Amino acid sequence: MGWQKMRVAGASAIALLMMTGCAAAGNDSPAAEQPLRVVGQFELHSLDPSTAGGFFTRLQVAETLVDADVKGVLQPGLAEKWDVSADGLSWGFTLRSGALFHDGTAVTAEAAAASLNIAQGKAGTPLATVPVKGISAVGDSVRVDLTEPYAPLPAVMAHTSTQILAPSSYGTDRSITKIVGSGPYRVKHIEQPAHIDVAAFEQWQGKKPAISEVTYQAVGRSESRALMAESAQSDVTFGMDPTSLQRIKQAGKLDIAAVTLPRSILLKVNAGHEMLGDVKVRRALSLALDREAMATALLRDREMAATQLFPPSLPEWHQDSATPLTHNPSEARKLLAEAGWAPGSDGILERNGKKFSVTLRTFPDRPELPILATAIQAKLKELGIALDVKVGNSSEIPAGHKDGSLELALFSRNYALVPDALVTLAEDFAPAGSDFGAMGWNDPALTEALNALASGKDVDKSAENRRKVNEILQTQLPVIPVAWYRQSAVVSPRVEGLVLDPLERSWRLSDLTWKK
Amino acid sequence: MVSLTTKPMTQATTQPGSSAGRTLHPALGTTARVLGRRAFQAAGVVVLVSTACFAMVQSLPGDIAFRIAAGRYGYDQVTAASADSVRAELGLDQPAWLQFLDWLGGLVSLNLGNSLVTGASVAGELGLNLASSLQLAAVALILALMVGTTAGALAAARPGGILDRLTTVWVSVTRALPPFLLGLVLILLFAVHLGVLPAAGHGEAKNIVLPAATLAVGLSGLFARVTRDTMAQIRQSDYVRFADTKGLGSWLVFVRHVIRNTGVTLIAYVGVQVLVLIEGVVVVESLFAWPGLGHALVHAIFWRDIPMIQAAALALALLVVAMNTLVDLATAAVDPRPRHKEAVL
Amino acid sequence: MTNAVAMQELLPASAGDSKRPKWLANRSATQLVSAGLLAVLVIFAVAGPLIWPGHAVQDLSRFLEAPGAGEPLGRDHLGRSVIARLAHATQLSLVMSVLCVSAALLFGSLAGIAAAWRGGWIDSVLHGLSEVFIALPALLVVLVVSAIANGDLWTLCLGLALAQWVEYFRMVRARSGLVLAGPAVEAAGLFQLGPVHVIRRHLLPELRPLLTTMATFGVGSSILALSTLGFVGIGVRPPTPELGLMITEAFPFYHEAPWMALAPVLVLTTILIGLLGLRSKESPA
Repeated sequence: MGWQKMRVAGASAIALLMMTGCAAAGNDSPAAEQPLRVVGQFELHSLDPSTAGGFFTRLQVAETLVDADVKGVLQPGLAEKWDVSADGLSWGFTLRSGALFHDGTAVTAEAAAASLNIAQGKAGTPLATVPVKGISAVGDSVRVDLTEPYAPLPAVMAHTSTQILAPSSYGTDRSITKIVGSGPYRVKHIEQPAHIDVAAFEQWQGKKPAISEVTYQAVGRSESRALMAESAQSDVTFGMDPTSLQRIKQAGKLDIAAVTLPRSILLKVNAGHEMLGDVKVRRALSLALDREAMATALLRDREMAATQLFPPSLPEWHQDSATPLTHNPSEARKLLAEAGWAPGSDGILERNGKKFSVTLRTFPDRPELPILATAIQAKLKELGIALDVKVGNSSEIPAGHKDGSLELALFSRNYALVPDALVTLAEDFAPAGSDFGAMGWNDPALTEALNALASGKDVDKSAENRRKVNEILQTQLPVIPVAWYRQSAVVSPRVEGLVLDPLERSWRLSDLTWKK
Repeated sequence: MVSLTTKPMTQATTQPGSSAGRTLHPALGTTARVLGRRAFQAAGVVVLVSTACFAMVQSLPGDIAFRIAAGRYGYDQVTAASADSVRAELGLDQPAWLQFLDWLGGLVSLNLGNSLVTGASVAGELGLNLASSLQLAAVALILALMVGTTAGALAAARPGGILDRLTTVWVSVTRALPPFLLGLVLILLFAVHLGVLPAAGHGEAKNIVLPAATLAVGLSGLFARVTRDTMAQIRQSDYVRFADTKGLGSWLVFVRHVIRNTGVTLIAYVGVQVLVLIEGVVVVESLFAWPGLGHALVHAIFWRDIPMIQAAALALALLVVAMNTLVDLATAAVDPRPRHKEAVL
Repeated sequence: MTNAVAMQELLPASAGDSKRPKWLANRSATQLVSAGLLAVLVIFAVAGPLIWPGHAVQDLSRFLEAPGAGEPLGRDHLGRSVIARLAHATQLSLVMSVLCVSAALLFGSLAGIAAAWRGGWIDSVLHGLSEVFIALPALLVVLVVSAIANGDLWTLCLGLALAQWVEYFRMVRARSGLVLAGPAVEAAGLFQLGPVHVIRRHLLPELRPLLTTMATFGVGSSILALSTLGFVGIGVRPPTPELGLMITEAFPFYHEAPWMALAPVLVLTTILIGLLGLRSKESPA
């Protein structure tokens, strides 16, 4: 069998070489009928909306009840309107009439409620943390009953894990066997983990997408993605590393779309730790970081140096008036001395005979994290803090949080997993702490402010509460902000109209057009 | 990648035809013997590899449920809660030996189980990876053989000549060049500058050319060297000289003796290289986004996707047996020694 | 690959190798040049870290600085001296690969001799063990061990050694079997000269040329394997400089800072070419 196969393969190899010779000639004028080629770093591991990484909402195959525009303002999605009872315990989402699933069946409230009930049962999704009593279909609307008021519910209904799929998507055991959504594009072909082909859905009610076919390909290495963009092999390329982006910018042949994300790179600190529990030490760590130099040299974008936890792309939470976090090694030394740390014979700080030596965990899925960790390591060493950097798996952070062994962790946190940052913040800074938030730290004033925001009462006090949250985080530093994040996509000259969504909810490919 | 692998051929393959000619029906007897022995070996390998593999994965540090949750939910959403739900769903609280028995039970009924991370059938996912790997290996091998043996044969025609020396240089350079550098150079040249080939990806026929070429360049040096040395040696050997003095035309000598004898040696190396190619091209797979077995294995280990690791290891191990079998059979078919007796004496 | 390469080098020439009286005596020009190259690299690996000690010292304001008077190879993306990192990396890669190969060679050879000498159940057990390792994908062994290692250098070394010992074992076992069954050893047995004598006088001379060749290629492939692990994101932990890690880190900067990317590749290639050339059997004639 092997030899037979090889003969076939050999013949095909020769044929290939010939074909490529021919292809070279006719490569200059790509036909407009060719699909739009999108390349990104993420692989599709599962069809399940709770774990599919938002692929099908990004590709506009599936819709959520609530949508959001590029500013994060909630918009009608599959639900054209929603309302809440006076006691805040019962929500109704009225479905858009005439919406069709890709299998031709109508989108019914029953189907939507069924999807949401399944989503609600999955751990680790935003909907699972909402105090839901029941989700049911009432006429043409989906009714959500709560056990206590929860103002950000519509924002949660915009999260990708709450996408509404047709009953034919589910197998007998309620697992997803295929994706039948209701968006402008329908799934044509999926080859896990690297390929998704979609085509425009003919019966889509809205404006027909100008680009009728899209293929997505996952490519793990950022250098490879950059090379694909440069060789005109992809039309829209996501996940550019800083240096490749610089090169492409300088070459000037390709367009670059960019948007700052509501994502921050931060240091999680175990505040229950004997060395890190002292707020002076946390401030010293923060003062030790030269954020501007790191942003300039490593992210190649000086503006991404964080001066506070919330990036300007979260306008409600970002406070222009906040005292910016700065780099000041001498002040840091002073704070450490006040906390009782003095340099030992080897230059490492000591207190009561114990060396200041801590471990930082991070992971390589975002390539800038290990590099930033290395820079932080060098800066802390200047202060006399020995930092051991462990580059491992992202799960080691929640695992270390759970068993209390975590000391420091470096990761990037998306505060707009759901369009309202409050949902993520309330979880991250809950009094008991959270996997990617506070650890061994809580502040009653902060908890009170977050609870007031979540209850939806006293709306006129919301801005004041957000300011208070920001101020407490800025002075107490349960997490130490390092950098903000700008998402870039390289766009080929064949297409125009790409507007990046800072919430990373949708790639808005239906808005793209072929360039004339 | 030049490779992490060291996959020696069994002794039998390096002593071609040692027992082949003595049975009554040489071809048939050899085939049956080879297949019988290999089938026995395959059964042993399955048991050994699955046990060893399971033991190794169990000894890995860290909470498996957390790792799997990270694979499923991604770094933005892996939490203790998701890990707990994974643990409950997959029954990871069971004692290890029970999980192992489950897996063995599945294996007996030819069910490799489902991936812990994606939930999809392991057989399906592995099939894709295996097919991609075999495809890449085959094309790379063909390219390398075409270039390598031609260069080697030409070099052997005149040992010490210019061509011979050029081949030596080529051999050293290709073997010392790290594959990621070579791959990058090829991409820059053929994809970015000339625009004739896709830089990376999988799915279109054209995608295979650059990764295969990257692998083939490294291999071609090796094949050129083996071909050249073996041919030069055989040309010096007594029976070729005898054939020459007997008055056989030089072309006939070449075909009948030199090619066949070189083939025997070459087949053994090709066998080794196929295994190296399939197992050990992680770098090339990663650079060109090629969904091969190496890529799958790296991910599976990173996520502790136990059924996937075991199935991938099993597939690779069986491939070793299959390839050795093929080499044995091919050697028996090509080896001129038994015929040599009849034809010349 | 080690094995493939080594076997390829061994097969056609094994007769010649054993006939050669002292392989130091007649070296070809290629071998001399290769030895020279390697010597220069070893000097760089030994002296370099002393001349440029600060491989982890960063100056973020000078990232990707081009080569200049003070910094012959410029600075990397974190503003670290590339030459200092390269010197440390060369040292580390050489030491680690030599250690890997030594461990594999020592264990493989001892096991091989033991198996050939004692035979019986020892042979069966060791042979069975080697069969398991052959069937287990080497990639899996290395990946699993490096997952356990989590960046720890010595464990990583052990992983590579585990993947390599089998070939030494098989070779030594096969060859020792022939030698031990030979008349010379039988005679030694009659004279009751003891195992030390047999190993020194009969086994080692027979095995040495083969083992040197295999080890030479082993060092080369260990260095490449280490660099490969770095490329797929497992391997040593920062800021330890290792050739593979340096290449991986520098890889995205091939356009912006080619000096940074090329320097470690050049060192890696030189080591490999040097090792290949050292074993080149190109006759002086």
